[in-house]
Amino acid sequence: MAEHGDQAMPLAGGQSLIPLLAMRLVRPGHIVDLSRVGELQQVSVAEGRVSIGAMARQRDIEHDPRMPGLVRVAVPHIGHFQIRNRGTVGGSLSHMDPAAEWPAIALALDAVMVAASVRGRRDITADAFMIGPQMTSLEPEELLVEVVLPMRTEGFGFAEVTRRGLGDFALAGAACQDKAVVVFGVGLRPQRLRVVEDFLNRGGGTRAEISAVAASEIQATDAIHTSSHYRRVVAAALVGAVIEESQARGGVA
Amino acid sequence: MTVNGSRWSGDVPARQTLCDFLRDELELTGTHVGCEQGACGACTILGDGEAVRSCLMLAVQADGMELTTIEGMGEPGNLSTLQAAFLRHRAFQCGFCTPGFLASAAEILGSGRRYSRRELRDMLSGNVCRCTGYEPIVEAVFECQR
Ligand SMILES: Cc1cc2nc3c(=O)[nH]c(=O)nc-3n(C[C@H](O)[C@H](O)[C@H](O)COP(=O)(O)OP(=O)(O)OC[C@H]3O[C@@H](n4cnc5c(N)ncnc54)[C@H](O)[C@@H]3O)c2cc1C
Ligand code: FES
Ligand code: FES
Repeated sequence: MAEHGDQAMPLAGGQSLIPLLAMRLVRPGHIVDLSRVGELQQVSVAEGRVSIGAMARQRDIEHDPRMPGLVRVAVPHIGHFQIRNRGTVGGSLSHMDPAAEWPAIALALDAVMVAASVRGRRDITADAFMIGPQMTSLEPEELLVEVVLPMRTEGFGFAEVTRRGLGDFALAGAACQDKAVVVFGVGLRPQRLRVVEDFLNRGGGTRAEISAVAASEIQATDAIHTSSHYRRVVAAALVGAVIEESQARGGVA
Repeated sequence: MTVNGSRWSGDVPARQTLCDFLRDELELTGTHVGCEQGACGACTILGDGEAVRSCLMLAVQADGMELTTIEGMGEPGNLSTLQAAFLRHRAFQCGFCTPGFLASAAEILGSGRRYSRRELRDMLSGNVCRCTGYEPIVEAVFECQR
């Protein structure tokens, strides 16, 4: 990666990169297969934190009892099981599809993304990591090596609306961990709803009131299958639902 | 790599997808290619016992793996239990989707768990069939669960 800079692209599970190559949407001079880097597949738990190597497969994470609750409920929504058999956590975060589950999970859990290159390692907050569709703050020669999440087993909520049940990308989705609230699949990147969070911190309100606050804060864009209006309305309703769900799970909201 | 029980070793172009390698190089044309972007499931095969999209893997990534394609699952006169159930339930018409469904179903059945029809419908939703309406496919897989 250091040698070839932006001429090189890492290959993780290939579930997004191979189609991009097939459609000639990217034409890298070099592809660096990360699959044999054992260190990147490690998962470890220490001091209330879960550290997931970038090459950990979605399928293994989905069935790992050490994962935070939000991860366990959200990951089964990623594609079909055949896609999760190959797709990785690091690939999903680095690909940064605005409708993908992982960036939303990372933002709701205030994850720390660990990037590495020959120049060393650095920590990036989830918010600073995600820029826009297929854009992150990783430098061309950098790899995402690890994502670090707080171990939370209560107070989470997750919901998304798709065209055909499990398997499709979300037309709109919402995730929360306690009073941290995120919508995804509505704009150019997942959005933390700070106004909604303030509202909850000041005592909150009914589900309908929470959704109304969310509707005025969500920044939605038009997409192929949906208008920005639809996405805002649906995501706002999902925000109300996930907060109710998190409270039922012992959240502090 | 091992393909349907036979060892294969050699060089492949780095850019070749696994489905193209299977079809063009090994002439195992039972692996069908529909969308070439992971969505339709026609190209699904078993890699180390797990259902994977052969259109979303490079052949080089299968280095060292054990692959099973439809050609390794049974043959005329000696159908697998699952293939026989597909036949009995008329779970295919044109047959384009069938090899992929059989690979996905093989992993599902391999788990040894018993799923409801509803769960099977969700789990089989990663494979698209334009002919059957899915009912007979779900029934055939349901019946094969012990
Ligand atoms: C049919 C289908 C349905 C899908 N549905 C969903 C869905 O509902 N939700 C969802 O979230 N995803 C979905 N996906 C995408 C899937 O989750 C991908 O696996 C994922 O987005 C990319 O992960 P990967 O490991 O396959 O990465 P790859 O495809 O190998 O790589 C993706 C990109 O990330 C870069 N990259 C990979 N690893 C690193 C790293 N460690 N450091 C820096 N850059 C890196 C690559 O260079 C490439 O640009 C779907 C895919 C398919 C084919
Ligand atoms: S051809 Fe591979 S999934 Fe459609
Ligand atoms: S039998 Fe024709 S597509 Fe399924």
